[in-house]
Parts: sequence; structure tokens; C-alpha cells
Amino acid sequence: MEVMQPILETRELSKRFGFVEAVKNVNWQVFPGQVTALVGDNGAGKSTLIKLICGAYLPDTGEIRVRGQQAHISGPVDAFKLGIAPVYQSLELVENRNVMLNMYLGNELTRGPLNVFLDKKRMYVESQRVLGEIHARIPDVRQPVAKLSGGQRQVVAVGRALVRGGEIIILDEPTAALGVEQTQEVLRLIETLRSNGKTVVLISHNLSQVMEISDWISVMFHGEMVGTLRRDQVSRADVVSMIMGTKADDLAMA
Amino acid sequence: MHPTLPRPTLRSSVPDVLGQVVRLLFLDYWLYTVTGIIFLVYAISIPTFLSSGNLINILVGASLTGIAAAGFTIALLAGQIDASTLGVVALSANVAAVLFQKLGVPFPAVLLLTLGVAALMGLLNSFLIIEGRIFSLIATMATSGVYIGLSLFITGGSALSIGRAGFSETLMARPLGIPVPIWLLALTYIVAYIVLNYTKLGMHIYATGSNYQAARLAGVRVKSILRLCLVVVSMLIAVVAMLAMARVRTSLMFGVTPSAVNFGDVVIAALLGGVSLYGGVGKIQGTLIAVLFLAVLTNGLLLLSLPPAVAALIKGSIFMITIIVDAQRHLK
Repeated sequence: MEVMQPILETRELSKRFGFVEAVKNVNWQVFPGQVTALVGDNGAGKSTLIKLICGAYLPDTGEIRVRGQQAHISGPVDAFKLGIAPVYQSLELVENRNVMLNMYLGNELTRGPLNVFLDKKRMYVESQRVLGEIHARIPDVRQPVAKLSGGQRQVVAVGRALVRGGEIIILDEPTAALGVEQTQEVLRLIETLRSNGKTVVLISHNLSQVMEISDWISVMFHGEMVGTLRRDQVSRADVVSMIMGTKADDLAMA
Repeated sequence: MHPTLPRPTLRSSVPDVLGQVVRLLFLDYWLYTVTGIIFLVYAISIPTFLSSGNLINILVGASLTGIAAAGFTIALLAGQIDASTLGVVALSANVAAVLFQKLGVPFPAVLLLTLGVAALMGLLNSFLIIEGRIFSLIATMATSGVYIGLSLFITGGSALSIGRAGFSETLMARPLGIPVPIWLLALTYIVAYIVLNYTKLGMHIYATGSNYQAARLAGVRVKSILRLCLVVVSMLIAVVAMLAMARVRTSLMFGVTPSAVNFGDVVIAALLGGVSLYGGVGKIQGTLIAVLFLAVLTNGLLLLSLPPAVAALIKGSIFMITIIVDAQRHLK
């Protein structure tokens, strides 16, 4: 196994809210073109860590490095510029606007004098193309998002991340609210993203999915990063005990 | 967005076309249909209804309500309920009255200064809502009180009669035979329609109102959008105030005067037109047709010499039904 440079790295990253240390001196590495699962029990700090990386929160101490360079991420837009694209658990879609406008939210293509008018034609063409690249089954990008199923909405949210130039796609509990068939759709989507060369960070409680699809598994416990392991070198039981805080030292490696 | 055509059924094509027409008339565009029907009913049963004087009268009244409703709609689409309309009317009208009548300021300057004061009111509203993090309805109720107080303060508590020429004449003029208010109504709705449906700004307004969090996380400048919408409402209300004042030639006490403009109608029109109180839902053209519907309805009731209680009851019921429908639609 050759040594890969991490595409995303945190060094001694910390964030506290009042007396609670949500993220404590986290050193983490995410490798390009691979699926890294971020797991841990409720309150372990996964969401906070992700929000720090995506510019939703500012860290107290520590640094974030993207492609080897130190990054100052003071807001969502900074994260987008670095290719970091989150897909939040709530998906953050605008219900009564259509698919293509949702994919371009905050990033709309414009035309005309002073770039004031929406370029709906170009957005139509481009959004179809992006959805095609991830084999999405959305028949018409002009229909309102409210009419889509859970799995399709997930696809739209990922589509938005890709349109934004996302190279590091962060999925926060993508299958939490989905049924069996739609969950499979999302897993296929993750597989497609990986084969398209994207880096995927997957936050999930569903260990069977994690064991099925990820290349690396990073475990957090009480705000600390317990360790990152190759999926094929660890058993489910090991992961569970790391999540619960036992067996912390034995298996930790990078 | 156009209403989607119904999917093909097992029936053959002729009844299918009929089905599509029925659906368009009675479901998607039902308000247009109802307005048309009421118009026809009145035209047939009330002799004076179709006179040009009466129709122009309806339209002028509708223009005042309509311009205010356009502003209210824009704020609502951005997720804000602006309840400061009476206060803004009062202060704008009195500022204009004092400037024009007492201080002899020329009309164009009065226009600009009044709009400027209105913009400031919009900014104060947005300051309380954004920085103060106060719910829009409450914040604007509070500022309304301040504006009314200020309006009484600058006129010394009494109404001012606009005797000097140049104000009413300009605002009540009829270029090409059509009164100024109607021109302004058309202009307002055309601009609003284009901005809301074809520009990036319009998309951001809908996004902010529909899902503030999503818009913010996607990089939309949500605070600027809110400020802009609140300033626009106030400025449109100021326009209405000046038009109303021109009509009655006296400054408006407490922001109201008989036959000026009814702000209850503004809210009812927006709701009836399909704009949601919860933000981010609705079409500006819906508000326009609702305004026309209410104007036609009220006019007919007036011509039929029915007691005011009838109109009040009808409007009250419409209001109640629309908020129920809105809530059901939102909570589903």
C-alpha cells in the first residue's frame, strides 16, 4: 500500500460550547478518492467536527489543512471554494422550488445585463448533465422538490454539492430516514461518487452500511478521535467497542 | 411555473381535453374564474356597474390596495409579516404633508424625501427583526406605534389640509386617460413579477422565506435580502400613502381616512392570492387577481346598497377560510 497524501486533515482541532468540549484535539486524515466513514455514538462530536470543516462553526484552536495547505474556513463559502461540500442530514432544500434551482441555490447561473437574470436554460442543461453523471433517476429537473421521494431528494442535495464544485462530499446520515430500496440507491450513489474520483466522508450510525461501503473507518468518542482504520483490517465488533470507548488503544493507527 | 397538465387517464381524448379545461378553470386558476363570474353577475344585475366611471373607480381603489399588497406579498415571500403598514402610511403621509404644505418644498423633492423616510422605516423594522431577532409581526407592530406617534408629533396632532396646488393634481392626473394610480399598479406588478420569477434576487427571496437556514448555508446573503424586502414594502406603502392623501386632499390621521385604503384588504388579498403566512410560497400575480376580486366584490355590494355588515362578514369569512387552508397546506 503506497502512502497517500491526505486531501483533508485536521490538527489538534478543538471546539467547545460553554463547558462542553464537543471536539477535543482532533487529528484526522481523509484520503482522496476514498470513502471514509465517521462513526461514533450520539454526542461523540461527529456533527461538530463536520460543521467546523464546512464553515458552519469556527474552531477554537487547531488547524484544518486541505490538499496540504492550511485553510482558513470562516464561512460556508470558504469551504465551497476549497471543494468541501456538505450534505446535511436535513438536506436543506427549498421545498417549493424545482430541482435545478435547488441544485444551483446560492450559486445560480446568470445572464443578461449586470448578470441579474437567471439563466434557466443553462442551469437546465448543466443540472441534467450532473445528475446523469451520478446516474440519478430524476425524470424532470423542473418539478418541485416537494414531490420527490426521500432517496431522490438525497440525490438532489448531492447534485447541489457537485454543481458547487464539490470534491470532498460530506454526507451526514444520508440513509437515516430512508427505506430499504432508497437506502440501496444512496449506497449506489456513494459508489458512483467514488468511481468518479470524489472523496466521500460518510457519517452514519448504520454499521452494516459502513462495513459494506467504506474504505476507512474513523471513530470518535466523547469529542476525541479514537482512531482511523482500514475497513478490511477491522471487524464490526471492534468498531462497536471503539464507539463505546473500550479497546481504545489496541487498534488505533493511521 | 405553469400548472402541470393532468396525466393521461384511461378515458378517450375529448372528455380528456374537457377535463383539462375544467381543472384549469376551477382548480389552478379558480380565483380568476370566480372573479370573472362575479363580474358577469354584477354586469347583468346592476345597471350602473359597467359605467366607465364605476370601473375606473374600482380600479383606482384596487390600485392603492394592490400596490400595498404587492409590498406585503414581497415581504411575506421573504418570510416576514410586516404589520407596520398603518404606521408607515401615517408617517409618510404626514411627512409629505408637512414638507409640501407647511414648508413649501417642491413636489419632486417631497416625493424623494418621503420615500427616503419610508426607507428608513424599513431599515428600522429590519434592525429589530435581524439584529434584534424579534419576530417580524411583533417587531413591526411595535415600530408602527412609534411611527404613528411621530406622525402626530410632526403635524402637532391635527390634520393638515393640502390646499397648495401641485400635489393632488400630479398624483391624480390621467396620462392617456388612465389615472396615475393604475399606471403605478401595473408598473409595480410587472417589475415584481419579473424580479421574482426571472432574477437571481427573486430566487433568493423565495429561498430565504422558504428555508432561511438552507439559504444561509448555501451562501445566500439572507440578511441583505430581508433588509431589502422590508425597505421595499415600506417604500411601496409610502407611495400608497401619498396617493391616498392626494385623493382626499388632507393628511391622514392615524394612517387612516375614509375611502383611502383598507389594510385589512391587503392581508386578505395576499392570503387569498395564495401567498403563505409561513413564507416562501405564493405568486405575485395571485395577489393581483385577489385584489381585483375583492375590489369588484365590494363595489358590487356597495352598489346593491347592502349594509356594510355583509361585506364585513364576507371578508371576515374569506380571511378565516384562507388562513385555515394555508395552515393545512403548510403543516402537511
